Amino acid sequence: MKPTPQQRIWMYEKMLTSRKLDEQVFEAYWEGKKPVFNMGKGPLPGEMHQSFGQEPTAVGVCAHLGADDAVGAGHRPHHVAIARGVNLKRMAAELFGKKTGLSGGRGGHMHIYDASVNFFCSGIIAEGMGPGAGIALARKMQGKPGIAVSYNGDGAANQGAFHEVMNMASLWKLPFIAVIEDNGYAVSVTPKDSTAVPSWKRASGAYDCYGEFVAGNDPDRIFEAAARCVERARKGEGPSILEIQTERLHGHFIGDVAGYRSKDEVAAQVDPIPAYRKRLLDEKVITEADMTALEARVKAEVDDAMKFGRESDYPAPNEALEKVYA
Amino acid sequence: MTDIVVPADLWDTDDEGVLFLWVYTDGAIVEQGRLIAELTVEKAQLELNAPASGRLRILVQPETIIKKGQVLGKIEPV
Amino acid sequence: MAGPVTDQGRSLTMARAGREAVMAEMRKNPNIFVIGEDIAKLGGVFGTTVGMADEFGAKRIIDTPISETGFIGIATGAAMAGMRPIVEIAFVDFIGVCFNAIFNFAAKTHYMSGGQFKMPLTMMIGYGGGYNDAAQHSQCLIATLAHVPGIRIATPADSYDAKGLMHTCLRDDNLTIWMVHKRIWGLGWLGTALKTAIATVPEEEYSIPFGQARIWKEGKDVTLVGYGITVHASLQAAEKLAAEGISAEVLDLRTIVPLDREAIFKSVSKTGRLVVADEDYMNCGVTAEVLAVVAERGPQVLKAPAVRVAYPDVPVPFSRPMEDFCLPDADKIVAAAKRTLGK
Repeated sequence: MKPTPQQRIWMYEKMLTSRKLDEQVFEAYWEGKKPVFNMGKGPLPGEMHQSFGQEPTAVGVCAHLGADDAVGAGHRPHHVAIARGVNLKRMAAELFGKKTGLSGGRGGHMHIYDASVNFFCSGIIAEGMGPGAGIALARKMQGKPGIAVSYNGDGAANQGAFHEVMNMASLWKLPFIAVIEDNGYAVSVTPKDSTAVPSWKRASGAYDCYGEFVAGNDPDRIFEAAARCVERARKGEGPSILEIQTERLHGHFIGDVAGYRSKDEVAAQVDPIPAYRKRLLDEKVITEADMTALEARVKAEVDDAMKFGRESDYPAPNEALEKVYA
Repeated sequence: MTDIVVPADLWDTDDEGVLFLWVYTDGAIVEQGRLIAELTVEKAQLELNAPASGRLRILVQPETIIKKGQVLGKIEPV
Repeated sequence: MAGPVTDQGRSLTMARAGREAVMAEMRKNPNIFVIGEDIAKLGGVFGTTVGMADEFGAKRIIDTPISETGFIGIATGAAMAGMRPIVEIAFVDFIGVCFNAIFNFAAKTHYMSGGQFKMPLTMMIGYGGGYNDAAQHSQCLIATLAHVPGIRIATPADSYDAKGLMHTCLRDDNLTIWMVHKRIWGLGWLGTALKTAIATVPEEEYSIPFGQARIWKEGKDVTLVGYGITVHASLQAAEKLAAEGISAEVLDLRTIVPLDREAIFKSVSKTGRLVVADEDYMNCGVTAEVLAVVAERGPQVLKAPAVRVAYPDVPVPFSRPMEDFCLPDADKIVAAAKRTLGK
């Protein structure tokens, strides 16, 4: 199943939105952190794990998802949140720790939640697998349509939670997809040095479920593979492991100089967004004029969101004590 | 008058058990089929239901070792 | 079965009373399901779910593989999506293999999402030793769980409270942990029935609020604070003290989070003397929190230093004389009470 022109344009737009937000966040992050890098300083404090290069994994899968579905992401959530349709202004405000943020400033960058689109995060590696499969279980129990997708990194596939949840998801034929974003690095360690059997190869032998690997960091190819996994889930045929080869263009977090990567390796990386842009224009999926208009729209939306985040108020300090319990 | 007997098929072996507790006190009105006592046999906690409705008369106290076929109490008609 | 079928109350074990509450709530609310190891066919290693698979079926009483992190994670997701799961962890010692799912996800999701996602999840957990199950199967770890914000913990000491607190747990939209000491569940193979743990339990439903301690026995000379099994040791101690003319008040905390700090301070203000008994480790434990209540609100009410009777800071030993040496019991509580009276 190939994407339609509209779907391809949608994918480009969402990738670009994520990229433009990440670019502005990158700039803002360094405010207050130079010349001395103190993580707690500046308008965007804390850790920041950006999605440069990984945008295709989010759009290729989320293009198939609707209101009944649910998506969980990990500590590198921006591209997934945006593809899922999370409120961009409130997401930006959450990154700034503002009262208007999705969680009123209680969550921050690794804990983006937007219940209106059934989106959640887990800051602990692979621990979003359980909740994702649990939402899938709830849908099944309630007799409601909808599938759940959990995003994980290549390193996450070695966590106990990944194994335990895939076993149960397969045993109970849950409408669930475990996406593995294989960007070649779990911080500094490659799959070659950490993983005996790639996650998708374990699907049939270890879990008796469907597994697939998509090379090339290509939104269209990811879209096609995701279509297969989503269809299986919707038909009650059980879970899938979808491992997607992607590129982490920057370090693990902002501030990571990634000395463990060779300069040649970094230079050889291909940015998927300009590549896809060129393809859409060459294949005449979109005209230059429409592309320009799209890009202006995205820029305006991102500018707006960042402005909203910057200008919103902080919560009152003692609001820290609220919302522990329902 | 109905005897409350430890049923022969309540557990598989011929091991002895222990009367763990009575759910009702001596003299209480009980209803047929309802739980009236718990027995312990090895690692299992077993249930004993009232064989008839009426007034419970307790003959065997908790913590007593009991056997299959033993009469633990009686149910008097009211 | 409508209406009472007896003219006198029913003496139920804590396991049966807890089950009664769960089953009543499950009959009313189709969103409740139970998940855990050995709970369907076996009915739970401590009898928590006996008979439930027969009534509710395999879709609502779910046996799992040995995958605590996995199935607690799954339960949290189901709770986020509108179900109301009950997760059984038979031994609290096993929270080590799944603590992240509990303290980083279940306890924090409501907060981190700014209230967008609720977590109506109840856990049933057994704790405690005293029957030679050694270091990894005898712990209490109440303080470990109580220490993390976002959790509510109920520790009923008898079957009446067990049923009432379970109803409250199953109507609360937060992570609630219903914890029962294994030696007062009411299982013959863990010792004879503690008479004081077996209460008369009404047939109808009732709910006991969190944060409300219970005075089992009023007294004027010394306050004995306990929870779970140490309530019973305190009652036995009170009897022994009474024989010596000392009037002890026995206060059952009932829920550790939220803690009824008012009740603690009110009782100690009255008696002026405090002994707190706990089977959990001494260091940074619930006993310390009870003392902190008095120290913060008005240490001047104390006529003598408070005394803590808690498990020494050692792993639980296997050998009987060593384990008995460590366990809080009535005699240790009596000695502590007398110390506060200068005897």
